[in-house]
Amino acid sequence: MTRATTLNPEASSGISIGYSVSSVADWLRRIAVCIRGPRGTRGSGVIWRDGLVVTNAHVAVGKMHEIEFFDDRKVRGKLVARDADTDLAAIAVDAVGLATAAIRSARELRAGEMVIAVGNPWDGEGAVSAGILHRAAGKQPVIFADIRLAPGNSGGPLADAQGNVVGINCAIFRGLGCAVTSDAVQEFLSRSGVPEAA
Amino acid sequence: MPGFLVDFSNELANAVERAGASVISVPEGGREGVSGTIWREGVAITAEHTIHGLDEVTVVLPSGETTTAPVAGRDYGTDIAVLKVSGAAAGTILTDEAQTRVGEIVLSVGRRREEGLAATYGMISAIGGPWRTEAGARIDRWLRLDLNPFPGFSGGPVVNARGEVIGMATSGPRRSAATIPASTVNRVVDQLLQRGHIARGYFGIGVQPVAFPEGAARSLGLETERGILVVMVEPGGPAANAGVLLGDIVVRIDGSAVRGAHSLQPALDSDKIGHSAVVDLVRGGKLVQLNMVVGERPQK
Repeated sequence: MTRATTLNPEASSGISIGYSVSSVADWLRRIAVCIRGPRGTRGSGVIWRDGLVVTNAHVAVGKMHEIEFFDDRKVRGKLVARDADTDLAAIAVDAVGLATAAIRSARELRAGEMVIAVGNPWDGEGAVSAGILHRAAGKQPVIFADIRLAPGNSGGPLADAQGNVVGINCAIFRGLGCAVTSDAVQEFLSRSGVPEAA
Repeated sequence: MPGFLVDFSNELANAVERAGASVISVPEGGREGVSGTIWREGVAITAEHTIHGLDEVTVVLPSGETTTAPVAGRDYGTDIAVLKVSGAAAGTILTDEAQTRVGEIVLSVGRRREEGLAATYGMISAIGGPWRTEAGARIDRWLRLDLNPFPGFSGGPVVNARGEVIGMATSGPRRSAATIPASTVNRVVDQLLQRGHIARGYFGIGVQPVAFPEGAARSLGLETERGILVVMVEPGGPAANAGVLLGDIVVRIDGSAVRGAHSLQPALDSDKIGHSAVVDLVRGGKLVQLNMVVGERPQK
């Protein structure tokens, strides 16, 4: 019983972790977008660089898309590249001076490292979830994370503990979150000839 | 502040790496491979239910080396199989699981032949006292995990945030993750290395639960209206030697009331073998007390 009455020094670490996750989440919301589908479905996207949003191919099904930023601004976006095999798509948006994602190679991640996702599931815009990397990426274009994702997370960022984007969330497989690696995104963009400054 | 989260993240990755040094892959186990834990020098454990019927298995060591490991012993009750793994170094740090607390961060670590080390994280969600598996084996502590069990995690370690082993992970009921605590694993590994199996107590009877009419139970001074009817007595078995007859109704064992066949389990633990159990039974409407020496269940 003494444990309950004395101040637990570790409790302050727990609070700090909460604050840290929320500040990373705040940053990720700025570089994440909401993409509305034709039938009212919602997906997510990442502002990869100024004027360019990366999302999943299964989110970007049409040519034109309504892209909504964290500050509720809405712009039209035009599909510029799409690859169903890697489940990636690039959308050019008519907006400049956007906060853009800091990218980290998913190949550097160690199993157990913390990962944070932000997305737009049906019951929460800009919803954050946290977990750990399930296993190291190796040469695979997909990474697995022990994190609770929902369908609206598709296309949204999976980031490390510093908020660096390491992948694009794309699926849920046996309770694990799957994300296309940042490395596969870079390859996709250069392969599809998306101009450096879109 | 972000530095704090980075430290936390690195600590978790370090814990996985530290634990990973004693996690092996058992590709033949289960449907798509399971994990194992190097427990002592040259000795590893895995989940028994995943390597049913195999006398030796291929294992992939943390170094990536593949070797063949004979199954030195297996216990269906606690789901522990012991593998002799030559060249397996002992680096495993065991914790005293009695020190674990609800809310503590834990990681379940596994290894797969192709993909290597994998982990999920969660916390200890409840701690309870000793419990019995469906097979009747005694587990020293109930450690409920709030953790996502992943394919092939069985047999791998459940570790704390320092990477120290709390127990062996295996699948519990309803797709949950169960933990066989380190102290139970130690006890079972010792016995398996010594004799290849876990000795279980034996009465040599077949039983069926029955209920007494309310008045009968009261007039006999019984705590419950339930008992177990002896429907088979093995000739020459411990019960036969003690004088148990077909049709006897067992109502107490070592002074505690019998509520069903499971009530016999505590008297059948391996440390009871060779000891005398006091059996109260109803025979011809009267209470009779017998002393029965617990035998050892023959190996199949």
